[in-house]
Amino acid sequence: MATTEKFVLNMGPQHPSTHGVLQVQVELDGENIVGAKPVMGYLHRGIEKLMESRTYQQCVPFTDRLDYVSSMNNNLGFCMAVEKLAGIEVPERAQYIRTICCELNRIASHHVFIGSLTNDLGSATGMIYAFRDREKILDLFNIICGARMTCHYIRIGGVIADAQDEFLQKTEEFINYVPEMLDEYDRLFTGNEIFQKRMQGTSIISKEDALRFGMSGPNIRASGWDYDIRKIDKYGIYGKLDFDIPVGKTGDNWDRYIIRLQEIVESAKIIRQCLDNMPEGPFMAKVPKMLKPPKGDAYHRVENTRGELGFYVVSDGTNKPYRVHIRRPSFINLQALDHMCKGMVLADAVTAFATIDPLMGEVDC
Amino acid sequence: MHNGILYLAGQSLKELMLPIIGSELIVNLIMTLICIGILFMLVAVSALVFTLGERKVCAWIQVRIGPNRVGPWGLLQSTADMLKLLTKEDIIPHGVDRWMWALSPILIFIPAAMVYALYPFDDGVIFADVNIGLFLLIAISSQSVLPFLMGGYASNSKYAMLGGMRTVAQMLSYEVPMVIALMGIVMITGSLKMSAIVEAQSNIWFIFLQPIAFLIFMVTCLVESNRPPFNMVEGESEIIAGPFTEYTGMRWALFFLAEFANLLSIGILTATLFLGGWQGPDFLPGQLWFWIKAFLMVLIYQWIGWTFPRTRMDTILSFGWKVLLPLALVNLLLTGFGIYIFKWLL
Amino acid sequence: MWGKGLVTGLKVTWGHFFGKKETVYYPEEKLPMTERFRGGHLMLDVEKCIGCKVCAMNCPNAALKLTVEMDENKKRHMISYVHDIGRCMYCDLCIEACNFKALKWDQNYEAATYFKEDLIYDAVEEAKNRRDGNE
Repeated sequence: MATTEKFVLNMGPQHPSTHGVLQVQVELDGENIVGAKPVMGYLHRGIEKLMESRTYQQCVPFTDRLDYVSSMNNNLGFCMAVEKLAGIEVPERAQYIRTICCELNRIASHHVFIGSLTNDLGSATGMIYAFRDREKILDLFNIICGARMTCHYIRIGGVIADAQDEFLQKTEEFINYVPEMLDEYDRLFTGNEIFQKRMQGTSIISKEDALRFGMSGPNIRASGWDYDIRKIDKYGIYGKLDFDIPVGKTGDNWDRYIIRLQEIVESAKIIRQCLDNMPEGPFMAKVPKMLKPPKGDAYHRVENTRGELGFYVVSDGTNKPYRVHIRRPSFINLQALDHMCKGMVLADAVTAFATIDPLMGEVDC
Repeated sequence: MHNGILYLAGQSLKELMLPIIGSELIVNLIMTLICIGILFMLVAVSALVFTLGERKVCAWIQVRIGPNRVGPWGLLQSTADMLKLLTKEDIIPHGVDRWMWALSPILIFIPAAMVYALYPFDDGVIFADVNIGLFLLIAISSQSVLPFLMGGYASNSKYAMLGGMRTVAQMLSYEVPMVIALMGIVMITGSLKMSAIVEAQSNIWFIFLQPIAFLIFMVTCLVESNRPPFNMVEGESEIIAGPFTEYTGMRWALFFLAEFANLLSIGILTATLFLGGWQGPDFLPGQLWFWIKAFLMVLIYQWIGWTFPRTRMDTILSFGWKVLLPLALVNLLLTGFGIYIFKWLL
Repeated sequence: MWGKGLVTGLKVTWGHFFGKKETVYYPEEKLPMTERFRGGHLMLDVEKCIGCKVCAMNCPNAALKLTVEMDENKKRHMISYVHDIGRCMYCDLCIEACNFKALKWDQNYEAATYFKEDLIYDAVEEAKNRRDGNE
């Protein structure tokens, strides 16, 4: 008599919708998923090892290439860890400029999320609209530091060059444009019944399970736990700013999507407060060219767009770090893929990859 | 009685040849061959026009300029695409079932091209005006389900297999609401002949008499021709290209041609069955009205396709069986009542 | 009403269909770059450069190779300044390290080549060509 059996579908490193080179071995029973095993490592470049033979200032451009879509946040994490280790204090104006750049980068990274999510769901127009808006932010980065994606702007001790008036004025224009931009996404996607049917109630992960896996960032905020390092550690000037943290209820794909849209609104609020209260002053502290921090170690974590990004820097007194370890949020968030995909259809697995929002440069380091 | 331009042109050609050749049989044979040639040319031209047209429409919706490098305004893009496809290497994957794999694109193209014989292009201009026109049309177009499954199975690839399975489920289950929605039209017309359906719309178009059937028909057309938002069969982000994954070059070009022929087909069908076919005010010839309506419908289908994300397999199956089918049956009931009341009033 | 969201979405794309397009007709129209843009080849000001090799030491990827010759009067002469843009990260550390401001980007973003060997160029040669071209 006829029997059915499970088969393993290899959504391999070259696939239109695995966000980079991620291989997922999906075990299917018809169209239902029984297991999904991610295989990582196709983009490993040995960044942590490379950093052991570079000076501290030379390490900073390598951090750009970890989470290459939100590079300002990575630079910030590393620089703050080294500043903690070496006891450097960053001037006020530099902190305000750093915050503006990081929040702009958060908005840009969420645009990549929206674009790749809608592209995976089948609507190529969503990708183009999201990337068109991201171009405006990349133009802002072009003005302030000369590079669009791998910015290398935030340095140990501050920022490398002052924010010009042109940058501040164009940022203000962009912030005024944000509500109109989000309204277009609401009309095109959030209100769309097909989109809602696809996303609501699929790939649910509960708060306890998410905590067990060690997820962080918007993924765990969607499951109901309001954990945002900007509010807990209050690094930089986040203690002085007034913003809310969007928290979801069920932890399904829909919540992860809506929370990121709301985070764009909150980031715009933060940028507006920074623009209004920006002090005058120096933009870089006095850092020696040959930086030799005292022996010891330091761990500093920042709220990256994807979660908690932590840098653990060990120094042995010379001008090169002895060891740098990076706690990468996408690597840890991706472990929950198997749990999220069990019992779902193949189409929901693709949506789950998209809403976890992994970035392979960060997963593989 | 028939006074469309093409009909008159055909008649005059026949009268020209008759004294030269003498036998009426041979003249008819020659006319048949000419018509077949024209229909094939139509399919080929539709592929040429839509290769560029779809990309331009898609680009304009996505706030960018479409292809504009090859020829002025990108007009030679189709030629470039065809040349590229003709010169590709013919890769035959290891372990395929040779005959089934090779036959699949051909068997998909044949029904897609054959249905053009049944469309009323103008007053009296149909290649085969049979008494069961609509029925034959649906029967021929349902033949394209099996070759998808053949291609999916014979390709020796898991992605293709998934695509083939999805095809059978999706395309077969949407035949039913389509047929029942069209039955309302047949009831009003009283005949399955295509030309009779067009003539029955001389007073009022069927879109006003059967709005529910129009909506159901639009949705089922999109599903039957695998257009987005219902293109799970070749859902690009999940199963890469479904049953087409392992085909390259000219074999893939046949699928491509069949898809564009289908796109034009559903435009023509919607225009013929619901919008009055070739009929229209006299300031333009009937032939031109036909093409205007068909292209308008094609534009609407492309507009819908490029706006919405893809649905999920189980969603559309439940939608088709639980929503569209009861709605089509209700429409049939209402049409029946309507006809009785109309006859009683007269 | 079910389907209202679908109709709103259709209206958005209809608006964009007839609206202004965001892309330009490259290469007939090119977008301008900003003042601080990092890209293209390095422009070396041979008058200002003293051949101290601080830029090469500061490069994280060893993309710069200088050959400097000392003659009998302990004066340095620059023979060649080879920059390999295949290895370069465009991080700007070389330009920041130079105390004499002798380096600058030429902001030409169309720096792709057909062969890998063409990615390695000599900035002294290019400076000479520029000077000869101007005279």
